[in-house]
Amino acid sequence: MESTSTPERILRGIALTLVILFFMFPIFWIFMMSFQTNETILQIPPSLSFTPTLSNYMALITGKLTTAAGTLDIAFMGNLGNSVFLSTASVAVSLLLGVPAAYAFARHKFRGSEDIAFTLLSFRFAPPLLVLLPLTQYFQWLGLSDTYIGLIWVYQLICLPLILWIVRGYFEDISADVEYAYRIAGHSWFATFRKIALPLAGPGIAAAGLLAFIFAWNNFVFALVLASASKQPVTVGALAFVTSSGIQYGQIAAAIVLSIAPTLALALYAQRYLVEGLSLGAVKG
Amino acid sequence: MASVTTARKAPSGFRISKKALPYVLSLPALLVCIGILIPFFTAVINSFQRYRLSQPWARQFNWGENYLNFFTDPSFWNTLRVSLTYAGLTVVLELLLGLGIALLLQKRSAFNNFVSIMLLMPLMIAPALAALMWKLMTNPGFGILSYFASLVGLDNFRWASSPDTALLTVVLVDIWVYTPFIMILLLAGLRSLPTQPFEAAALDGVPRTFVFFRITLPMLTPYILTATLFRLLDSIQQFDIIYAMTQGGPGDTLTVFQVEAYLNFFQSTNVGRSAALLIILWAITYLLSNIFIKNWLRLRERARGEA
Amino acid sequence: MTTLQLQNITKRYKSQAVLDDLTLDVADGETLVLFGPSGAGKTVLLRLIAGVIEPDAGKIVIGGEDMTEVDAEHRGIGMAFQNFALFPHMNAFDNIASPLEANRSSAAGIREGVEKVAKLLKIDHVLSHRPKALSNGQKQRTALARALAGSPPVLLLDDPLRNVDAKLRFEMRLELPRLLAKQGATVIYVTQDYKEAMALGDRIAVMSQGRIRQIGTPEDIYNTPADIDIARLFGDPTINLLTVIPKKDASGVYVELSNVRVPLPSMPESVVGKECVLGLRPETIVFTEPSAQGAIPVTVEAETPLNEKTVTLLLTARGREILLSRPAGTPGPSSGPAAIAVNGAAAFLFDKESGARIATPATTTNRNGEAA
Repeated sequence: MESTSTPERILRGIALTLVILFFMFPIFWIFMMSFQTNETILQIPPSLSFTPTLSNYMALITGKLTTAAGTLDIAFMGNLGNSVFLSTASVAVSLLLGVPAAYAFARHKFRGSEDIAFTLLSFRFAPPLLVLLPLTQYFQWLGLSDTYIGLIWVYQLICLPLILWIVRGYFEDISADVEYAYRIAGHSWFATFRKIALPLAGPGIAAAGLLAFIFAWNNFVFALVLASASKQPVTVGALAFVTSSGIQYGQIAAAIVLSIAPTLALALYAQRYLVEGLSLGAVKG
Repeated sequence: MASVTTARKAPSGFRISKKALPYVLSLPALLVCIGILIPFFTAVINSFQRYRLSQPWARQFNWGENYLNFFTDPSFWNTLRVSLTYAGLTVVLELLLGLGIALLLQKRSAFNNFVSIMLLMPLMIAPALAALMWKLMTNPGFGILSYFASLVGLDNFRWASSPDTALLTVVLVDIWVYTPFIMILLLAGLRSLPTQPFEAAALDGVPRTFVFFRITLPMLTPYILTATLFRLLDSIQQFDIIYAMTQGGPGDTLTVFQVEAYLNFFQSTNVGRSAALLIILWAITYLLSNIFIKNWLRLRERARGEA
Repeated sequence: MTTLQLQNITKRYKSQAVLDDLTLDVADGETLVLFGPSGAGKTVLLRLIAGVIEPDAGKIVIGGEDMTEVDAEHRGIGMAFQNFALFPHMNAFDNIASPLEANRSSAAGIREGVEKVAKLLKIDHVLSHRPKALSNGQKQRTALARALAGSPPVLLLDDPLRNVDAKLRFEMRLELPRLLAKQGATVIYVTQDYKEAMALGDRIAVMSQGRIRQIGTPEDIYNTPADIDIARLFGDPTINLLTVIPKKDASGVYVELSNVRVPLPSMPESVVGKECVLGLRPETIVFTEPSAQGAIPVTVEAETPLNEKTVTLLLTARGREILLSRPAGTPGPSSGPAAIAVNGAAAFLFDKESGARIATPATTTNRNGEAA
């Protein structure tokens, strides 16, 4: 397959260019748009030459948008803060619950362990609204509606299966003998878990955590159903923002850029583990 | 090397018994999830009830009526049709495109690796936000895609706002977001294939189409199957892209299962019908996920074996 | 006082018994070698003793205390694994220090302990290296040092020389007995190499299929193997095994090899007329003059020098292969026709059907000082 003729190489080049254009252009375009004023955005035909402005970002950060019609409050920074808090807290809880469970599933094939692991996995594939809609009523009843605790709890549906299955794979990759050796040397199971299993599975745990963070951040429907404006993350907040200030295109673009930047940065950082994480450990990258 | 026998300590004090340890470790995770299972059963019960939020007093069991009504309910058939069309279109197109890109990037080189990482970026964007990006790009006033459409003579091309092209538009967004998923899985699959059969075929001068259909594809099948089922499971339940883009509209053009259930619950407050819709969707995904998990397990076993 | 008793140990995986009602006593300070083919259950047995897996039935008594239910960390055991099982994220020092840390020794005590055992095993110059940066030999020594560092009263060594090269294996085979003697621990040593078993064991337990087939001193095993399999496993070159039917006349029991009469003194008369297997150690066979009394004509097929001895492959008139071993440098034909003499008094006789040894040979043989 090495013998590539010149016309073929040209065709491949064209195909690859089109692919890159298709997948990269929207990001590029939104990014450009976020540095433009509404006047340059609305220009027809669109032009690449414009004076970049930070006013869109300034408006978002200060939360005040001054237009000819008056001042408009933008709650977007609150949404961004909610996203950071909800995702971080959810992943932290998930790691706390999921890593010991993953260790139990990897090391001790106890009765029912496979069934439980698969039940947890099946959450990943069930329609989320099936659970979310009745949950609204339970949350009202429990006083959890529109609380961070309630949201973080439900976010476990996203984070836990992911962490459980990826980290379990990493624990399984550690030779049992290495752990036995530490036990025999005179250390308790907990010391063995802490000093041997955790450090050796460390990179996997970190990657699973990052991926869980990305998935939690990108979630839309959970917060749409369960959170009011003050608790909404960026995914829901941006949509509300579009509806409320339909014509502030520059700010919308800037809000989108701010909303997608964290996950893109994390993905680039954790790219080595993406394949494994996305396939829940079924494919190694 | 102090004393010889100090290593042995009498087992005493608080210890978790060996048998109980795995249960103790996994219990917290289970408890958290069990709390989430209860609403599932509530949904099952709701689906067998006549239950409207606007008329809570009239709530009563009507047993299979919600389901039976579906047979004569054109809007249910519309939901089923739209959901299946959406899932079928996106999965097939993404599979073809993803396989093509994976083949383009198959050779390990710094450039190819860089491109494959770049192409992953849409997948890392929240689908709801991706839909907003495309909403901006297809804005009739300034959207770059509307401008391109007008350049090729499609004046007033209305993308998601027109019933004729709404499905096409959301499918396009889905392709943009999820093709990288299939691409990256198949790329990992392609690169993990043994090289000998290909070298042997090249030495024997076997035509490349033959190599592709008789060696590459069969060997890639488990990866293709896993990626397809993974996507199918997600795609049949798509909510984020469609809701953020059109909220199921225009009209009922895009009322796929979850969108329809959401609208039923919050707009027409018909909890019973909404629950029944979701149970049907759940049954479909349950079947699919059983097939999927078998496949996925086999692949996972293999990946672990190579580690 | 650390004796070790295993009483009626049974361990199954699925329904397959890996260890089948196994009983074993190891005396204080003794080195017992577990010898047997892979799959015999040796490694499982070590893990049971160490406490990382549990028996389905039976008792494990260490130093007079029932340890069957006791966690691995409380058993006072040091173990070296066949695959070394070093902690990949710790350097050699920390690896070796792990049992000392569990003892809650002081930092100075740990340092002293590690350096002492590292010096003993000649790895004191690589203590700061991670396992990845160690050669195979250094890994093996680090694993051994880790097992020894806590001065455990019981040492379990699971084929520690298996994964090291031949030269190092040879060195360690000479070095280990001294090291183990110095340690004074009760040792169970697993190996598949009969020379290692002979060199290291106070006693050898031969295992196969989850049972102990024979247990005894190296001399016992070599000189009175319980059956054909054990006779074949111990000895290099391998024992010659020839199917024969013993006969009897006025002067006693004998067999015929190439129509030459080989008397078997001390063999019971019950073997006469029964299909048996005659076992001849290669070193009990010597070249002789063709005209000598009892000389068996053979053809020399090939000659292989094997370190301190020379091994010759011979073909009898009936086409049966026989190996002859003689000290290197002693004269002998290297091709063509020759004649050999067989010492019937040093021959084994096994029952062909069951494989069991029928009677002890009258004279025992010297094994070139291998276990002396």
